[in-house]
Amino acid sequence: MDPEQLDEFVMGYLKKKGFNGAAKQLQEALHNNNNNNGTGSSSSFNSTDYHNDPELTKLIRSFSQSENDPTRYRNGYSNLRSWAYNSLDLYKHELLRVMYPVFIHCYMDLVGKGHTQEARAFFNSFRKDHEMIHLRDLQKLEGVLVPSHLEEMEFARSLRQSKVNIKICQYSYDLLLQYLHRTESTLMLGIINEHINFQVYSGQPNSSSDDIDAVTIVGSFQETADHVNQKEIQWGLLEDSLEDRLEKTGSLLTDSEKGQGESKDGDVDDSNKKRSTEIGKQGSSLKKLKKDKAGNATAKVARQETSTVSPAPRVKSELALPVMSTDVEESILEDLRNRVQLSSVAMPSVSFYTFVNTHNGLNCASISHDGSLVAGGFSDSSIKVWDMAKIGQAGSGTLQGESDTNDQVAGPNGRRNYTLLLGHSGPVYSATFSPPGDFLLSSSADTTIRLWSTQLNANLVCYKGHNYPVWDVQFSPFGHYFASCSHDRTARIWSMDRVQPLRIMAGHLSDVDCVQWHPNCNYIATGSSDKTVRLWDVQTGECVRIFIGHRSMVLSLAMSPDGRYMASGDEDGTIMMWDLSTARCITPLMGHNSCVWSLSYSGEGSLLASGSADCTVKLWDVTSSTKLTKAEEKNGNSNRLRSLRTFPTKSTPVHALRFSRRNLLFAAGALSKPTS
Amino acid sequence: MSIVPKETIEVIAQSIGITNLSPEAALMLAPDVEYRVREIMQEAIKCMRHSKRTTLTASDVDGALNLRNLEPIYGFASGGPIRFRKAIGHRDLFYTDDREVDFKDVIEAPLPKAPLDTDIVCHWLAIEGVQPAIPENAPLEVIRAPAENQIYQQKDGPLIDIRLPVKHVLSKELQLYFQKIAELTMSKSNPSLFKEALVSLASDSGLHPLVPYFTNFVADEVSRGLNDFLLLSNLMHVVRSLLQNPHIHIEPYLHQLMPSVVTCLVSRKLGNRFADNHWELRDFTANLVALICKRFGNTYITLQSRLTKTLVNALLDPKKALTQHYGAIQGLAALGHNVVRLLVLPNLEPYLSLLEPELDAEKQKNQMKSYEAWRVYGALLRAAGLCIHDRLKIFPYLPSPSPSFLNKGKGKIISTEPNKRKLSVDSSSAMQVDKPMGDDNPPQNSVQPSSSGQASDGNAPESRNAKEKEGSKGRAITMKAILDQVWKNDLDSGRLLVKLHQLYGDRILPFIPSTEMSLFL
Repeated sequence: MDPEQLDEFVMGYLKKKGFNGAAKQLQEALHNNNNNNGTGSSSSFNSTDYHNDPELTKLIRSFSQSENDPTRYRNGYSNLRSWAYNSLDLYKHELLRVMYPVFIHCYMDLVGKGHTQEARAFFNSFRKDHEMIHLRDLQKLEGVLVPSHLEEMEFARSLRQSKVNIKICQYSYDLLLQYLHRTESTLMLGIINEHINFQVYSGQPNSSSDDIDAVTIVGSFQETADHVNQKEIQWGLLEDSLEDRLEKTGSLLTDSEKGQGESKDGDVDDSNKKRSTEIGKQGSSLKKLKKDKAGNATAKVARQETSTVSPAPRVKSELALPVMSTDVEESILEDLRNRVQLSSVAMPSVSFYTFVNTHNGLNCASISHDGSLVAGGFSDSSIKVWDMAKIGQAGSGTLQGESDTNDQVAGPNGRRNYTLLLGHSGPVYSATFSPPGDFLLSSSADTTIRLWSTQLNANLVCYKGHNYPVWDVQFSPFGHYFASCSHDRTARIWSMDRVQPLRIMAGHLSDVDCVQWHPNCNYIATGSSDKTVRLWDVQTGECVRIFIGHRSMVLSLAMSPDGRYMASGDEDGTIMMWDLSTARCITPLMGHNSCVWSLSYSGEGSLLASGSADCTVKLWDVTSSTKLTKAEEKNGNSNRLRSLRTFPTKSTPVHALRFSRRNLLFAAGALSKPTS
Repeated sequence: MSIVPKETIEVIAQSIGITNLSPEAALMLAPDVEYRVREIMQEAIKCMRHSKRTTLTASDVDGALNLRNLEPIYGFASGGPIRFRKAIGHRDLFYTDDREVDFKDVIEAPLPKAPLDTDIVCHWLAIEGVQPAIPENAPLEVIRAPAENQIYQQKDGPLIDIRLPVKHVLSKELQLYFQKIAELTMSKSNPSLFKEALVSLASDSGLHPLVPYFTNFVADEVSRGLNDFLLLSNLMHVVRSLLQNPHIHIEPYLHQLMPSVVTCLVSRKLGNRFADNHWELRDFTANLVALICKRFGNTYITLQSRLTKTLVNALLDPKKALTQHYGAIQGLAALGHNVVRLLVLPNLEPYLSLLEPELDAEKQKNQMKSYEAWRVYGALLRAAGLCIHDRLKIFPYLPSPSPSFLNKGKGKIISTEPNKRKLSVDSSSAMQVDKPMGDDNPPQNSVQPSSSGQASDGNAPESRNAKEKEGSKGRAITMKAILDQVWKNDLDSGRLLVKLHQLYGDRILPFIPSTEMSLFL
């Protein structure tokens, strides 16, 4: 190579990279050099040295000649790819994991340099490799075509700025480096150095299946997640909860129970009658509840036994909790006393509320804690509340007809048998009843949250604070406080008596789609379109846990009653069970094949119910899974959570689920006529 | 590059009044348009999810535009999905089907029915984990599919109990039908009516619900009525009719049916009277077994192997009665020539030597026993003969003496039969393979039992056999030479033939196809 040409290249390279100072210096040096050469000095061993080194020349040439050549990416990547696919089976999956970050960064480099056409061709020819795991990311990236998009798009930006952590065993790492050096693929080496952070470990490669990192690519995320997840959380239940009180009074009662048997039975019968009207189907439910009652005595004994085995730790509430009126407390205690003990062999009964004639307008459904009130939020901004107790009193005629409803007994609003709540000015995306059922909160696309009184059938307060549609709102387990989440990527904590939010939880990288309270009220969990679930401390507003593992947006959340576990359901139909303290996924629950809209734990936490867009309600055995995990922690990656039952509906996607305090499962959904 | 072609940008630009858009500008805009469209769709999908839907609607797109603070697109807010039509002559051009409506029509049209108001209906999706069979719930077929999944899952988790709401309802008519058939089968008093019943069983299309009951019935009655020949025969006819019925899916019940059928084939004793023609029943059953194997052998690969194993075991066990041997031979023979060649012929020689003392009337005083032995001998001969016939048939015709001879090949055999019959009492008519088995038995019955001088009759073939053995030795050499010459590539079957000839003498000859026979004789 002609030395002058070479100098020119080096100069051009330096200028292009913006090393102006260095370029200037080089120029001066060259100038001097020439002068020196002219004077015949021999001080320029430096320059001759690099001119004669063939390795260096080659390297410099490769830098200069094809800096702008887009085919280099394609060739480099396809070589690396074919090498990785032909590598040893044992290490292949680890090496293949490197391919995805290299792929997307090659693509973004190409886009960034303005080779739109080549970028698209490159993307299309290799996207098949990654579609299985990263389909949704690819769909997002596919649209990036112009350098400015890289700046604009959150996802792309975070990818560019962060490094991906890849765990890789020593030997795979060596293999990879060897390959890169041998083939002198500096481009690939550059990308790998720039964007991948290898965590090399000694020993045999891990099995590919249980590696979460393979799914989420946003690297900085993983670090912060690891960091955040170190924090301590108190997942225990509240001191002096009603359950506790029940245990105490229960143990006192057991002695005197026999004596009081008569009167108690009377009470129970009364409550049964009340309930039966609430449910709305007198005959069958009465029978059913009689059965419940029969099971109660044994259930109570069983509960006492189990409760002594593993009591959840108790914590103090960090919020000032509202005082519960004695009436409410009494009724809750009564419910708890009459709770049916559920397990994998004792299945719950499921009462299904089907919305008919919704004309595709039902956006959300909510069921009050006792199942007597059902609210539907509609896309025409209206909220409709049905009082099932009244309908039950009116007779069971409504059960038959989809058409003759207007002839039914006139409700408070003329001929309708529901309460119409008007106030929002956009589709209503969520509704939630306060625990006693006296208030209803609704959130809407008009960015507001409204509080309604179910007794007055009137709007009480309008909470404005979010800037974008409010996707979800949830009352705390004790009422008064509520949490909301929105398209503006925040979740907020409110109290009923303030129109301003008390806390704003910011941190999610995309919409916050769902929110759920921890049973001890000290934490809230949020699920987001960034495919993570986060746990926030309500008092400090800090993020205390990040759960990574979902492959698509998280749509539903549920907390186990003992506060130890959380379940989250996503768009693909996967449900994940998380251990809150370790932020680890216990096991994914596969079974649904469409969005999981709703999740609910049974009262004592032994069963998990899930409702999905695939028109089924599924019951999962949770206790076996958690027990088995401990035993199988070392050897097992088998699917430990068992699907116990599947209840298909005729053609009703299940929008909402709730276990009542007595462990009757209520489900709701809108009948969707199959398109013929 | 972009999936939005430049032309689209130009068309859109024209449609909003920009006429001087340069191609370069269009080219630059195209990728951005694609990106924006994708962005809007991403938001629209979010809106769709939060509306708890799985179909994207125009309102979702409007919602997404709202999220981006853009003006929604008006005019698409209809409830249903928008119907796009292909523009004729263009592959990728679509337009919304927007009909022109006359105002007059709209005004004069009767008011549409008011849409029904939203309501809630309540039902039990499940009661203590079991779905009640009520109209509100999904029909039973839908339930059954997940139920199977549960059974599958049960294998790894032993704790689940399954309570299925499956109730089997049998209509009154079917119950009556079943009773009637059962009565007819048991009573044996009305053969003509029974025949009609069999026809009905073989053709009626609505009998499927009864199949489990019939299989149960057959199994029960066979195990109970082994002494009742007529009943057994009737039962086998019922089985045959059920098999014949094209509307019945009998496969799942085969495992229940097979033992009773095989019992009727190889049981030591069928019927208790001397007059009972249990040979016929065995023959019939053998055909039945073959029919089953032929029909279900493909689906149950082990079926035939298991069956042949049972039969061969029965045949090779010298302790078993001759009747059982007979049944086994007939069963094997019915299963096809390959089975015979592979399983019976190798054992032929030792077996015949075992049988010889029984055949010899002087040694075997018990006439009944001797008769049975002859039956077995006949069955073996027939099986072997048919096998070799089949074997020879597959070879190409040799240069035969004359074409005319070839043409009347079949007729020739028949014409030779009467001559042979005096030699071989056995079923020579079985040359016509298609002929049902029952037909070739009567001659046997008529010939052998009727011949009072069984001793002489038994003696004669024996002595002739011995004589011929000597004579045939010389002949066998020449024959072998011929065979070697003719079937060079299949010495095996040549040897087989020779061996058979040694064992059976001339009695095997009727089974050799006429053209080949002409070479022998």
